[in-house]
Formats: sequence, structure tokens, C-alpha cells
Amino acid sequence: MKKIFQKKETNMLIVVIVISILITLKNSTFMSIENLVDLLKCNTVVGILGMGMLMAIITGGIDISVGAMTSLITVIVGKVLVGYQVNIFYLFIIVSICGILLGSINGFFISRINIPPIIVTLGTYNLYGGLNIYFTKGAWITNLPKYFVDFGQIKIIGLPIQVFFLIGIMCLTYFLLTYTLVGRGIYCIGGNPEAASRVGYKTKNILIFVYSYIGFISGIAAVVHTTIVKQVCPNAFLSGSELIVIAAVVLGGANILGGEGTVLGTLLGVILLGIINNGLILARVSTYWQQIIIGIIILFSVSFNILRSKNIEKEMFKIDVEE
Amino acid sequence: MSKILEVKNISKTYPGVKALDDVSLELNSGEVHGLVGENGAGKSTLIKILAGVIFPDKGEIFIEKKPQKFTCPLDSLQKGIAVTFQDLSLFPNLSISENIMTSQNIEQKNLILDWKKINNLARNAINEFGINIDLDKKLGYLSVANRQLIAIARALVHDAKLLILDEPTASLSKSEINILFNSINILKNKGMSVLFISHKLGEVLSISDRISVLRDGKYMGTFDKNIIGEDELISYMVGRKIHYKRFRPNKMGDVLLEIRKLSKKGSFKDISFKLHKGEVLGITGLVGAGRTEVAQALFGINIPESGEIKIEGKKVKIESTSQALRFGISYIPEDRKREGLIFDKTLKDNIVITILNKIINKLKLIDDFKKTDVANNWINKLGIKPPYPNMLMSQFSGGNQQKTVIAKWLAFDPKILIIDEPTHGIDVKAKSEIHQLLRDLAKKGIGIIAISSEIPEILAICDRIMVMKRGRIVKKYNDNNITQKELLNKSIPMSNK
Repeated sequence: MKKIFQKKETNMLIVVIVISILITLKNSTFMSIENLVDLLKCNTVVGILGMGMLMAIITGGIDISVGAMTSLITVIVGKVLVGYQVNIFYLFIIVSICGILLGSINGFFISRINIPPIIVTLGTYNLYGGLNIYFTKGAWITNLPKYFVDFGQIKIIGLPIQVFFLIGIMCLTYFLLTYTLVGRGIYCIGGNPEAASRVGYKTKNILIFVYSYIGFISGIAAVVHTTIVKQVCPNAFLSGSELIVIAAVVLGGANILGGEGTVLGTLLGVILLGIINNGLILARVSTYWQQIIIGIIILFSVSFNILRSKNIEKEMFKIDVEE
Repeated sequence: MSKILEVKNISKTYPGVKALDDVSLELNSGEVHGLVGENGAGKSTLIKILAGVIFPDKGEIFIEKKPQKFTCPLDSLQKGIAVTFQDLSLFPNLSISENIMTSQNIEQKNLILDWKKINNLARNAINEFGINIDLDKKLGYLSVANRQLIAIARALVHDAKLLILDEPTASLSKSEINILFNSINILKNKGMSVLFISHKLGEVLSISDRISVLRDGKYMGTFDKNIIGEDELISYMVGRKIHYKRFRPNKMGDVLLEIRKLSKKGSFKDISFKLHKGEVLGITGLVGAGRTEVAQALFGINIPESGEIKIEGKKVKIESTSQALRFGISYIPEDRKREGLIFDKTLKDNIVITILNKIINKLKLIDDFKKTDVANNWINKLGIKPPYPNMLMSQFSGGNQQKTVIAKWLAFDPKILIIDEPTHGIDVKAKSEIHQLLRDLAKKGIGIIAISSEIPEILAICDRIMVMKRGRIVKKYNDNNITQKELLNKSIPMSNK
């Protein structure tokens, strides 16, 4: 029992529940099934991208190009759908390959040339964003084929299909991080990079894997995003989405310095951000307050985590003084 | 007897230092082989080469008569060499069982992990030590001594033919050392060879069958433990029978610093002592006895909870480093690389860093001519070599780096100089130069507090000596007429816990 309460995830869950109750007291439609399903659907893209960002953050890195990458791939989605009428299966193969290619460029510069991830992805953020605008001139793609729009409307046991993509990516990420050698290597790099290579991990290859995986995930997120908005607007997804994703992962208890972070925590981080956005509207709080409240929550929750780990550290370095 | 490992004519050069110079070494299978040498003798470099972490410039390695070429740590592991490094190379963010099993999983290419199996194997490995810990706990919560055991357990999980232990006893208590030695003997009986690196000769003599000596990167020979004694080993390690020159006590001046009943929970308790002008006061004891914590208390880093500090008779509170500086206190930390110097700046930048306010021109900007002048002055006085003020700090040898840290604080003109491990990781010649330097400074009226684990060093340079153990001062000596043995016995905790 004590162990459960020591986990960051439990604290997060309590916060999520308390906030939900508060919002429901103000406006009972918040707890309606329709609203919750809608809330889930709206946040699938942030959730999917969060799983990739989680990996980067566990290694002690970051990827601020995810928004730009996803946006660029949505354009590819639009072009292949309109131009070639490819079926859904091939569509996923195409976006996966494109994503892995774009992501591996990040991975190459980070691991082989040894540039800090924030700089590399700042570069590719501009590069991919620029390519996007160059090719599309900012024009929207609206006439997506019907079979694709229909695909996005599928519901399974009452849940929109987008939610299942989130669940799928979560399961895959959880499996990779928990049950594979590469996944544990990701935690090792975050905990002690030098030791990771000393015990035999090929740390450079692991970093390339991580950033390519983020690319792959961006590909999936691009399709899911397109199924939700049913059109492609080249520069709509660029602004700020990577920051929301990073905020969700950090809120979910991942350590920005590396070594710590879980899939469940990240999901809770995404849900918390989603609830605040959605709930504040339902509670008729002026939208001006949303960002302010999110900012305050990030500062407080991260301070809480840091102070707690500092306390643990203090205990550790104690000298056993003879009394 | 068959040879498990042969090292032939290995050389390795770092900028400024020849770390290994034509070193050859042979290990029999099933023996415990001690490797001794002073700090900077090349022990760690040799181990890193055997572990596949760094690569020799020249030379060959044979395992069971077969030539080897290690290109990465995994190579060496697969050939049966398991290493525990001095810094342990563990992961504080992972569970204990995962720490034990990580390298095993990699070696066996277990791409998909079976956690049940991992936990069981880890449990078996740790049982060999007869200690009881919760393996699901994060390693970060463990004490340093227990981490050491975990690092060894990790090496044991491999069916290694050769286990290399780099300074494994540095932070262990006597009873923990016994546990360690028992497990080494168990391994030896199983036919494993062990290369045991330490600079504590007593331990090496008691556990090893044969002992090899390195000095300044050169191989000095291998000796049977029944033939060679401690004194003889020391003479091979340092190249002459007498260790360091002992200095005659200076005439002590007035009381400069007085400390009464200084305490801080989890750091130290009831620390009282006086420091006079012109004396070198030594603090010795094991790593983790609270020595550094006391030093940091005087420099405003680790603020004490109770007790009082008087400087030249006036009661003061030191709550930040800038206050400490105002009282004329300076502190030279043990870790030059991280805390003492800025490695990617030049020599002159490092020297003037404490007195930037004194080398400014009329426009209040830093004057490069003054900077070079000041730097050259100290380079000459302390004999820093090569005397190039514009050379990057990282390119200097350990001894000259240490001189630079000292120069940087001398430029500040301190009344009290606290120096933690004054000769850590530098060669014998530079050591005696620094000893001489500290004595000269004391003669000029500076009060010096020298913290060192090297008992011969403490005996050589200090006028008075204090021994710390588990956060307390357990013994004070008012002169340096004590034997090494007595001092060492005083500093080892006699607990059976």
C-alpha cells in the first residue's frame, strides 16, 4: 500500500480525480459519456506524440521537431490520398517509412555528430517546417477521398478508432521500454551514459533508434490527426504542439534530466492537460485563464517532484555519525 | 601453470603524460593477483585497456595464449574479463536487480527480457555475499559500500575467467572488506582469476598470491607474497626506501581560527579545534568520515547547525562562499576536474579567476596585459610547466593542474587555505614539490588545513594531526611523531555491523 502511494503516478491520478470532481460540481456535463469520449479523441494526437517524446526525455534528450515532422507528414498523407487513392494499409506503411527517415536524420546528428538534441531538433524543426511551406505554399488539401473520411468515423465498442491508435502506441512503447534490451538501454543512457557504454550498450545506435521511433510515431500521429480534422492544413499543427507534448510528459513525472519516466505517467499528464482545457471551458472560466492555470500547474507539479528527489538525495549522502 | 592473461609491451600516451610505458604482465589461472602503485602509476589506465574502454597505442593482449583485439567493452566481457570500475559504473535510476543483470542481458543478447528470471538470477548473485537487501529498490537509495558489492555481484553473474576489481575496498568498512575477501576466495577456489587493484598494501598482501608493481606508468616487477614485505613493496612503488621527506615543525603563531562544537546532522558532530598562523593542520580518516564536510562548513558550502567559529578571536558566521572569501578563507577541492579548474579555458584564465576585480582597467574591463602579468608571476613562482599562459588547462599534467589550483588561490592572498587531498592523482615528483610548496606557504604565516587519506603524506607535511571517524574527531596528535600503523588503526571503524 505504501509503495503505491510512493509512486508519482498515484499522485497524478489523485490530482486528475480531484480536478474532475471540481469541474463536475460546476458543470455536470463534464462527466457525460459524450464529453469524455470527445475529450479522449481530441487528445489522442498529443498522447501518441507524448509516447515518443517520453523516450527522448528518458535518454536525457528532447525532440522539439515533432510538431513540424507530424505536420510535414500530414501533407504527404493529403498528397498520396488525393493523388493516388492508396488504401489505408499502404498509407500507414508510407507514413511509417517517411517518419522513420525524418526521425533518423535527428538521430544521426545527435548520435554521430554529437550535437545536443535540443539544437539538432531546433534545426530540423525549421527545416521540416520550411519544406512544408515551400511545397504546399500554405494551401489546404480539402478533398480527401470518402473511404478515408469514413475510416476516421469508425467506432469500436462505442470508442472512436483514433483512441485505439493511442492504446496501440502506448502498448508498443510500454513493451519496448519494459521488456526489451533496447528499452532498458534507454533508461541506462538516461541514468549514467558512460556506464551504459561500459556495460556494453551501443549507445549511439540506441539514440538513433529513439529518434527514428519518434519519427515513426509522428507518422502515425499525422494520419490520426488527419482522420480527426478531415483535411490537411499545412501550418496549423506547427505552432506550439511540441510544447504541449513536452509539458504533458514532464507533468507525467518524467525527469527532464533523463533516466525516469513511464508510459502511464505520460498518459496521465496528457489527460490532465486535456481535462484542464476542456473542463475550464465547461466551468465557464474565461479562456484567458487556461494558459495561466496550465503554467501554474506545471511549475508546481515539477517543483514537487524535484523537491522530493532532492530530499531522497540528502538522505543518501548522510554520514553515519556516531551518537 | 597455465596463463589466463598475458599483457605484452603495452603503451598508452595521454596529452602531457605517458600513462603506460611498455608494460607487460602475466596472470596465472586461479590466482589472486595484486596490482599496486601510487595514484597516477597507470593502474586505472591498464584496467580500462583490459576492459575495452580505451585502446593502447602499442602492445598486445593474450587470453589463454590467443591474441585479442578489444574494440568495445562487450568484446572483453565475451572473452571472460569482468571488471568493476572504481566509479562503479552503475545506474542510480534502475532497480538493484536490473543493475546486477544489465551487462549479462547484453552479453547474452536477451533482446526480450524475462523479468522473473532476471530477478531470480540477481537474487542468487547477491546471496553469495550473505547480505539482505530489497532488490526491487532503486540503486540510488543504497550506501556506497553496498553499491560496491552490487558492482561485484554484477561481475560475478558472468561466467568470467578473470575478475578485475579496481580499488574495491576504498569505501568499505572492515567487516565489509571481510565479506568481500571471503567471496574472492570462493571465486578463487572455483578456478577464477582475480586481478585486485589497490593502494592499500596490507590488504593486497593478505588477499593476493602474487603482486605486481607499477610506478609512473612502468612495470616494476611481479613478486610472490611470501617473499616480499610491505616495506619492499613501498620501495618499488616510490622508487626509494623513504617515503616523503618529513618536515620540521614551524614555529606556530597566534590562533587564526577556532572552532567549537560544530555539528550538523548527517555530516559531523562536536568538531572543535584551533588553527594557528604558520601551521599545517592535517585531517585524516577514511573517505566518508566527514572530513570534506567539515572543510565545506568552513567555506560556507555545508552550513553547520550548531557550534561557533572564531576567526582571529572574532565570532563569525559563514553562510556562503562569498562570506568565507571575505574572511580570507580559500578551499581547494579534491576533484580538480569538476570543481577546481575550468578545463577548456587557458592557464592564465584559470589563475586570475579569483582576482578578476584586481586586473581591470579604467573602463572596468578586464585588462589582458595585467592578466598575463599576474599569470606569469605565479607560473614562475610555482614552476608550472610548460610555462605557457595561453595553453588549455586540459593539456597540463595532473601535477601542474594541481599547482594551478593552488596558484589561483594564492593570487587571492588567503589567510586560511583548506586543501582537500592535495596530491590526488599526481606523480611522485610533483607530489614532493607540492609538499614543499605547502610548507613554504605555512612558513609565510598562512594557516593550512590539509585533508588527506594518504597517511605518509599527512605525516610528512603536517605539524599537528587530527583523525576523523564517522563524523567525529577521534584523536588529535600535537606533533607528527606517530607511526603510520597507529594512525591507520585509529581511522578504521571497528564496528561489526
